[in-house]
Amino acid sequence: MKLTKLLHEKHEELEALWVDAVFKTYSEKAIPHLSSNADPFTNPVGNMVKEAAHCLFSALSLDDITIDAVKQALDRFVKIRAVQDFTPSQSVGVIYLIKPLLRSHILPAVDQHQLSDYLDLESRVDTLALLAFDMYTKDRETVAQIRIKEIRNQYAQLKRWAQHFNAQAPLGTFTGCGNQGCK
Amino acid sequence: MAKLPTPQMLVASRPDFPKEHWLDTKPLFAPGSYCYPEKKETMELLHMPNPHNWDPAADDWNLPDNWEKILCDAFEERLEKHRSLKLFMDICVRCGACADKCHFFLGTNDPKNMPVLRAELLRSLYRRDHTALGRLLGKHVGARGWDKNVVKELFYYAYQCTECRRCSLFCPYGIDTAEITAIVRELMHEVGLGTHWIMDPVKNCSFTGNHLGIKPHSFKEIVEMLADDCETVTGIRPKTPFNEKGHEILFITPSGDVFADPGIYTFMGYLLLFHELDLDYTFSTYASEGGNFGSFTSFNMAKKLNAKMYAEAERLGVKWILGGECGHMWRVINQYMETYNGPTPANMETPKSPITGTVFSNAKATKMVHITEFTADLIRHGKLNLDPSRNDHIVTTFHDSCNPARAMGLLDEPRYILKHVCNHFVEMPENTIREQTFCCGAGSGLNTEEIMELRMRAGMPRGNALRYVQQKYGVNHMACVCAIDRATLPPLADYWAPGVTVSGVHELVANALVMKGEAKRTMDLRQEDLPNVDADEAEAVEG
Repeated sequence: MKLTKLLHEKHEELEALWVDAVFKTYSEKAIPHLSSNADPFTNPVGNMVKEAAHCLFSALSLDDITIDAVKQALDRFVKIRAVQDFTPSQSVGVIYLIKPLLRSHILPAVDQHQLSDYLDLESRVDTLALLAFDMYTKDRETVAQIRIKEIRNQYAQLKRWAQHFNAQAPLGTFTGCGNQGCK
Repeated sequence: MAKLPTPQMLVASRPDFPKEHWLDTKPLFAPGSYCYPEKKETMELLHMPNPHNWDPAADDWNLPDNWEKILCDAFEERLEKHRSLKLFMDICVRCGACADKCHFFLGTNDPKNMPVLRAELLRSLYRRDHTALGRLLGKHVGARGWDKNVVKELFYYAYQCTECRRCSLFCPYGIDTAEITAIVRELMHEVGLGTHWIMDPVKNCSFTGNHLGIKPHSFKEIVEMLADDCETVTGIRPKTPFNEKGHEILFITPSGDVFADPGIYTFMGYLLLFHELDLDYTFSTYASEGGNFGSFTSFNMAKKLNAKMYAEAERLGVKWILGGECGHMWRVINQYMETYNGPTPANMETPKSPITGTVFSNAKATKMVHITEFTADLIRHGKLNLDPSRNDHIVTTFHDSCNPARAMGLLDEPRYILKHVCNHFVEMPENTIREQTFCCGAGSGLNTEEIMELRMRAGMPRGNALRYVQQKYGVNHMACVCAIDRATLPPLADYWAPGVTVSGVHELVANALVMKGEAKRTMDLRQEDLPNVDADEAEAVEG
């Protein structure tokens, strides 16, 4: 059987297995909730993981999919993992949990002459992980940026006022104290 | 030769997680998940109990020697004082209805952020000392004793609750988790544990009236600068009355709107609206903070800081107080102020709009009217000349701030205003708005930058809903009626829905307000060009 056909056939099963593997990176008591419903607002993380799973396996099945579409579908998933209590490898490394699934569910059915196709398939997992790694880094950069921006915004008006105050004093006369007697 | 771990070994925390019973799993104080501690000097200045230096990431928090007795006594005292607390300790049947309603749980997936389990941290201590079964059977019935790790755990989770009360909405018994969190925070303060981001504003409000500790003359100058900006945009310089006696109304709003971007534009909105109405009002530099960080500290501190409102209303001889767009200010006013600081001074009357004659009988007890109630009433009576097309470049949604929505039922007034000042208004999904609104993730004194990661995950349910309407309906703006929201939603939007701007409702009101004698508007209050103004026309105006 051709590799792509095999992947199509096992698509749903593999997706579900990977979703389970990702859920297992959370506390056991949270898993019933994560698997409970598909509503994007009452179970957002569960929904994000499932959206990511669908996208990842579609990309692996060589469905017609662009890098932008992959990024769009992985965006929320990478964003939440980037701010949860995970190490960087735990955050995006979950994409590598696809490989053992492929080795147990796809590899046994692969003929000798399809080995090269199979290795390509595993390389596509690497590509997806690298894409996610770029997104993760960008998200962490965003967190750093918004932290700086927030500090600036908190005192924005105060800074303007201080500059205004400085501008009113003739150059060289500012002593740092409004009191004339203070030298 | 040592073997490298496989990716699975690096990534998956199973199978050995969690090894322990959930009550024995202890939180990890990782940077980004806890607020910085308050300085000893600040706690001393405020006469807080047991001030000391400590570091949340350290093993030893330098608790006072008799810390356990202090906490046991303090807990017992509160159980006697607050019958509601005793009820909340006894009545929970652990049905789990609240479990998945908390934005902290949805964002962290940490089970102890389920409101039921967060409360269970305290309830387990209650069982040991205050129930017969707990005393006899101990751990078998979920009872446990105090130890220093329990203190750390209580601290960790009390500051992973924004007291938003969404869980209470779904609790069949109406257990108010916010009150449980408030009391845990009080207990922590008994042994000298507080956070800088809360206690510093408490200190500043105690000594100078506003949360940054800006002296009255400087505060006035900053407001005057905002009036100058109003003139730049509209050609009209609104008045800025301060500490003047004999006016009808005292206006109190969060001081964040005087200092912080983008709150300042909401403040400019107030100035312009009041000028247009020729409202008989004054500001106070003493009561220049509507927000009450004391309410994130202890009930007594909340009472102390709120007392300034009525004290100034009495000194200045006003009839009633108009309050700005703030969140927890309104919960404190509606839920606690009568008990804290009531009855109102004799000079105060049930608020009556001087423009429409509407009597706000809902504010009979507090004598305080929320500005969106006031403005919605003005619009209802056709008292404002509005040109919503000035906001045509905006597709706005509305974020219900937790406290006005759930503590005072302020749901329709802001929407009514928005629909009259903007032509494009879109609601977020039904289960994320109105009473079911999701918190910004950083209320109740958690809006500090050192926990940005925590805020981004806790605010995710709100960010996720915003992102949905951004992608589906082209929403590019989110209005809100809370100063903390105006500070916390911009970073949240930058992370989850980049391209969405945030403002208060009255910024949009003033943008749409056609004022008597104003110059042709070519820019909005942020001094950004209005895209709908004809370029030639704008040049002609400048010429």
